[in-house]
Amino acid sequence: MESLYGPYAPFLPKVAEDVETKILAIGEAERERTGHGVIEHVRTRIKAEESMREKCLRRGFEPSAYSALREIHDSVGIRVVTRFIDELFLIADRLRELPDTRIVSEKDYVRSAKPNGYRSYHMILEIKEPFTDILGRTPGGWIVEVQLRTIAMDTWASLEHELRYKQDVANERLIAQELKRVADELASCDVSMQTIRNLIHAS
Amino acid sequence: MKLLLAEDEQELSRVLCAALKLQGYEVDAVFDGAAAVNKAAVNAYDCMVLDIMMPRKDGITALREIREAGCMTPVLLLTAKAELDDRVNGLDAGADDYLTKPFAIRELLARLRSITRRQIAFTPARLTIGSVVLDVEQQELSCVNAIRLSRKETRLMELLMRNEGKSLESADLLHSVWAEEKEEDPAVCFVYICYLREKLQSVGADLTIEGKQGGAYRLVRGGGPA
Repeated sequence: MESLYGPYAPFLPKVAEDVETKILAIGEAERERTGHGVIEHVRTRIKAEESMREKCLRRGFEPSAYSALREIHDSVGIRVVTRFIDELFLIADRLRELPDTRIVSEKDYVRSAKPNGYRSYHMILEIKEPFTDILGRTPGGWIVEVQLRTIAMDTWASLEHELRYKQDVANERLIAQELKRVADELASCDVSMQTIRNLIHAS
Repeated sequence: MKLLLAEDEQELSRVLCAALKLQGYEVDAVFDGAAAVNKAAVNAYDCMVLDIMMPRKDGITALREIREAGCMTPVLLLTAKAELDDRVNGLDAGADDYLTKPFAIRELLARLRSITRRQIAFTPARLTIGSVVLDVEQQELSCVNAIRLSRKETRLMELLMRNEGKSLESADLLHSVWAEEKEEDPAVCFVYICYLREKLQSVGADLTIEGKQGGAYRLVRGGGPA
């Protein structure tokens, strides 16, 4: 069977790698400027064809390379994990300033968490790359989703993911309620640590 | 503890002031009901003593206005001996206790200790200012977003919200929130104010805590992102 991503499949890892390099460079520039590295780690993934096909259908698009690359925005996903909240917003600022990059959309689930307690900062970028894109443009515009979060937010998200993908969890409602509570407690720790850091650096 | 005394008999006022100060109360004395309402609107008191028979506004009318402005401070009324109606109307207007003249100063002091002690237990479970809610029992602060607070943060936030727009001195906050920690560094109050400032911001609250380290703090509307 031909790849859902069609002839564009081989370029997706290259796009991911390029964006990862740019983000790591932001971290290095910041380390040189302030002496503190701002990035804990960066992870990239290409969305598996099966889940992309399923997502296209769920959103009402015909599963095609066009849908996967233009209608759906997370064929290439990049997760950036920081230690402190301010660092996450700093990277978001730097990403907005990147050359050859267009911001498609941004969603601030840090200042406005999802009802289940999920916190993260989402940016959809269109990055100019030398490869011809599905619209026939060279250099092409390639869409990537960047998720920025702190270590605490990242740990919480992985726990929530376990709940979501496990069948028949006992006391699921209670567990969801407790997850929400712990999300707000972690947010409180993140904010307190940021406050303490600000106090240290103010003096 | 800060106390508002509204008593129009100069001599009695003077004696009460002296006795209360001796017990460590910081006393603001006024001599009519209108002045009591004005003082209560700008200052945060731990308790108030209001005489009923006063010029320019009687004690019950003054109390009603103070309560209507949202003030929850414990109030003790001083009533004349014969007036049953005054006692009933006074309690219905929001008084926590009353004392019939003439009274022994020791009894007044004991009743003040009693109503200020009870205050802690009678705090409502949820405090709301605009779209910001503090759930005291759950220790949750919410607006656009929700966040958990520690026990001390909750207590401090509660004091600020109950006294919206009024100045609260660092020393008084330290005394109320950190009463059990005798050795506490006075700077702790400022650190907790910083926590609350960031947490208000993180839930998108349109409230700001004004004030500098070591001085007075005041919770005011506006200034936030919402």
